[in-house]
Amino acid sequence: MAESLLTLEGVSRTYGQEVLVHALREVSLDIRAGEFLSIVGPSGSGKSTMLGLLGVLDLPTSGVISIRGTDVTKLPDAERSRLRGSAIGFVFQQFHLVPHLTGLGNVETALLYRGLSRRERRERSMAALEQVGLDHRHDHRPIQMSGGEQQRVAIARAIVTEPDVVLADEPTGALDTQNAANVMEIFAGLCSPERAICVVTHDREVADAADRRISMRDGRIVADDRLGGVT
Amino acid sequence: MRRFGELVGVAIAGLTARKIRTFLIMLGPVLGVAAIVSAIGINESSKGDLKAKLRELGTDLIVANAQDAIGGFGSDPKIPAEAADRVARLPDVTSVTGTLQLSNIVTLPFEAAYDYYRAFPVPVIATHLNLPETMDVPMVSGRFLNEYDEASAARVAVIGKDLAEEYGYIANEQRSIQVGGLDYGVVGVLDYVLLEPSMDSAVFLTFANAVEDWDVDEPDPTRLYIRAPTNTRYVAQEVPTVVSLGGPDGANTRVPTDLLDAQSQVDENLNNLTMLMGGLALIVGGVGIANVMSISVIQRSSEIGIRRALGHSRGTIAMQFLVEALVVGVLGGILGAGAGAGVVWLVSEMRDYTMILSVSGLFRWGLVSVAVAVVAGLYPSTKAARLEPLETLRLG
Repeated sequence: MAESLLTLEGVSRTYGQEVLVHALREVSLDIRAGEFLSIVGPSGSGKSTMLGLLGVLDLPTSGVISIRGTDVTKLPDAERSRLRGSAIGFVFQQFHLVPHLTGLGNVETALLYRGLSRRERRERSMAALEQVGLDHRHDHRPIQMSGGEQQRVAIARAIVTEPDVVLADEPTGALDTQNAANVMEIFAGLCSPERAICVVTHDREVADAADRRISMRDGRIVADDRLGGVT
Repeated sequence: MRRFGELVGVAIAGLTARKIRTFLIMLGPVLGVAAIVSAIGINESSKGDLKAKLRELGTDLIVANAQDAIGGFGSDPKIPAEAADRVARLPDVTSVTGTLQLSNIVTLPFEAAYDYYRAFPVPVIATHLNLPETMDVPMVSGRFLNEYDEASAARVAVIGKDLAEEYGYIANEQRSIQVGGLDYGVVGVLDYVLLEPSMDSAVFLTFANAVEDWDVDEPDPTRLYIRAPTNTRYVAQEVPTVVSLGGPDGANTRVPTDLLDAQSQVDENLNNLTMLMGGLALIVGGVGIANVMSISVIQRSSEIGIRRALGHSRGTIAMQFLVEALVVGVLGGILGAGAGAGVVWLVSEMRDYTMILSVSGLFRWGLVSVAVAVVAGLYPSTKAARLEPLETLRLG
């Protein structure tokens, strides 16, 4: 069995103080190396909360989240941030590129404060842009790029740190069919035996590209289906 | 260090992306520092000539005038020669010269000029031989009076530079002047005496001349010029006592550069007022920085969120905004100090001042700008650090 990269154990997340909203109830999930999984479900099912917790951007009200066996809920912010930076790569629906930086600058942002030289940062960032086929656009700003190109820059930014898990939130939601297919192809190519891809979506086609599908409803996992033969 | 370099790089990228805004928030520190630096600089420079003159003159010359011991100007007060010697032996005193101004003597370049020169009396001063050393004034030409002149009561004279010009004296010329009807050979011309301008048009004789030719009973001076490079003020206080020692003779003393010194002092009130105004400009500038950066934090919340997602800690985000404020403060300080120095230079050129600008002052006010900017950046940067990435990233 492949290595466990990201684990949720009995995780609940409640919002509010007087009126409690139970966004996530007692969820357990284990993401292993080599997996390409999708998280699907209607609005309000807890997908986004789940993504925030998986990406350690948020902390659970109760339960344990571990990255490679390390319980992150007990770590101080600086440690947790470092772990997030090294283990997880994010791709967002709205791309979230920094508008005043070039494509290369945006990718390089992920490599800051790691003791790398400027040259190393540039080289690794260029390599990541090459991987998504955008090295020729490295000095363009986001506003000069199409949505598909911006999303590819965002993917390059997510993988330049060589993370264990790539978390994507509706990565094709803001794209037309052609670009969406293009981006999904890149995602499929990112799968490797050491890495897991996790896509949150309500797009059936996107979900079908994955080989494991987590279905959610009312803050609970209601189904965990293996689609392909890969485990 | 590399981390700080990266922070500065990110800050500069953030600042240059919004040039107008950066320019506007920088205006506060720039104007504040420029106002303070230029106000202080202009104030100092307007006194620059006086200060330069003071440096040239030195502030260690004391003039002691004879008076009788009860403080009035009795008939013919004198400082006895032995009293002058006592003053010379004071530990802080390096040089003492006694002088005696002779009265009612008409001095002429030549006999026939009597009518003209009677109307413009020339001071005739009997002096000790070390006057040039004590006054720290060189000879323009020739020599000063010496021991041989004194011993032989030779009729030789030294004249001031203005008088030399008045008489059309040519350097080292063999020539005499008429002092009260007696011919005196001119042996030298003394340069301008800045601390005692009346000497510039004077004739200097030896005390021996005064006794031999002008009916002076004792070779006692009425005035002492005293150099005391250390404890000048203390010596000036002590001299009357040293002169009188309880006897009938007395003296009062003054330090001629004191008035000049007072004039050269920068007007403290004006300085404080301008510093207050500049300080206010800096504080308003700081408030501007805090204000604009707080808005900037809200506008850049998605950038902050993504940086958090990329692994930057809250501390790093706070540092990033703090370093932006720091860069604003440093640039504002440099530009402000530069602008202030430029204004001081310009005004000094226009008004013919001797420009005075202290580099440490520029540095100090530049640092104040940095401090103001960093303090102003504290609030926005903690605000940025407190942003919840999940709220700014609008997931799903």
